[in-house]
Amino acid sequence: MQYIYNISNILIKVNIIMENEEKVMTGEESLKIISEMINKTKFDIRQGSFYLLFWGWLIFVCSLSEFLLKKFAGVGHSYYVWLLVIPGVFVSMIYGFMTGRKAKVRTYTGILYMWIWFGFFIAAMVLFIVHSKSMYSVAPYILLLAGLPTFISGFLIKFKPLIAGGICFWVIALAIFFAGTDTYSLGSAIAMLFGYLIPGYMLKNRVDHDAV
Amino acid sequence: MTRFKELDPILHSQLRLAVVSLLIGIEMAEFTYIREQTGATAGNLSIQITRLKEAGYIEVIKKFRNNYPQTLCSITELGRQKFAEYVNDLKDYLSPKKQG
Repeated sequence: MQYIYNISNILIKVNIIMENEEKVMTGEESLKIISEMINKTKFDIRQGSFYLLFWGWLIFVCSLSEFLLKKFAGVGHSYYVWLLVIPGVFVSMIYGFMTGRKAKVRTYTGILYMWIWFGFFIAAMVLFIVHSKSMYSVAPYILLLAGLPTFISGFLIKFKPLIAGGICFWVIALAIFFAGTDTYSLGSAIAMLFGYLIPGYMLKNRVDHDAV
Repeated sequence: MTRFKELDPILHSQLRLAVVSLLIGIEMAEFTYIREQTGATAGNLSIQITRLKEAGYIEVIKKFRNNYPQTLCSITELGRQKFAEYVNDLKDYLSPKKQG
């Protein structure tokens, strides 16, 4: 019995020594380790696709409902559909809090991504307050603002459809500004389709494909 | 005659170099994440992290999350500086310039 115990003790010690023994590396091996490890620290883009799809659908439904209610049902206070944005903010905050708690790593890209969108949220709130007496005219400015984080996020995660989405926001903002207030809600719905939903689904497909 | 500057012995080790290279691009990482990415055993990783911490290259924070211990690692300014020096020395080593 003592013999077996001694052998197992020796094996454990040998294992520890082997684990801690440092193999001499060549310069090429060092470079390979550095590039492999740096490549592993890419930002997890799954979080990005959730927000794009969630906000894309929410704003798309609100914009289109407002347009349809006003144009075809003749509802005067069709803008009330925008109240859906309030629970949307809470859902986003809860999702962000939950994923943040579970995250095992915080990348610089992820932090930058979060603050860019948070900055957009604050700027949008300021815009709503400034335009509180003329909310009907806020759409082109919101699209103008929304284009910026979308465009930058596209560069951060190296995803061209999102860069194109940001540009779409600016083009549509300009178009509806000159086309008049009647086009604002329909223009916003189209902007959501090209700016958030299409890039959002493409991003999700890429993540799902990479995960296989 | 070609002269090589000696590579930093703290960084010139497979696992320690992997840990620092991993931490260079992130703000903070959990011990389990580093273990998954490097493929090291918990025991060996723990020893190498302690060595890096003692050298002042990384900072280790231990706390609790949902009643479970959590070890968080991040690179220090010294670690960042030493890593940059190591990469420069490595470049000289791989493509030496003739001196004197």
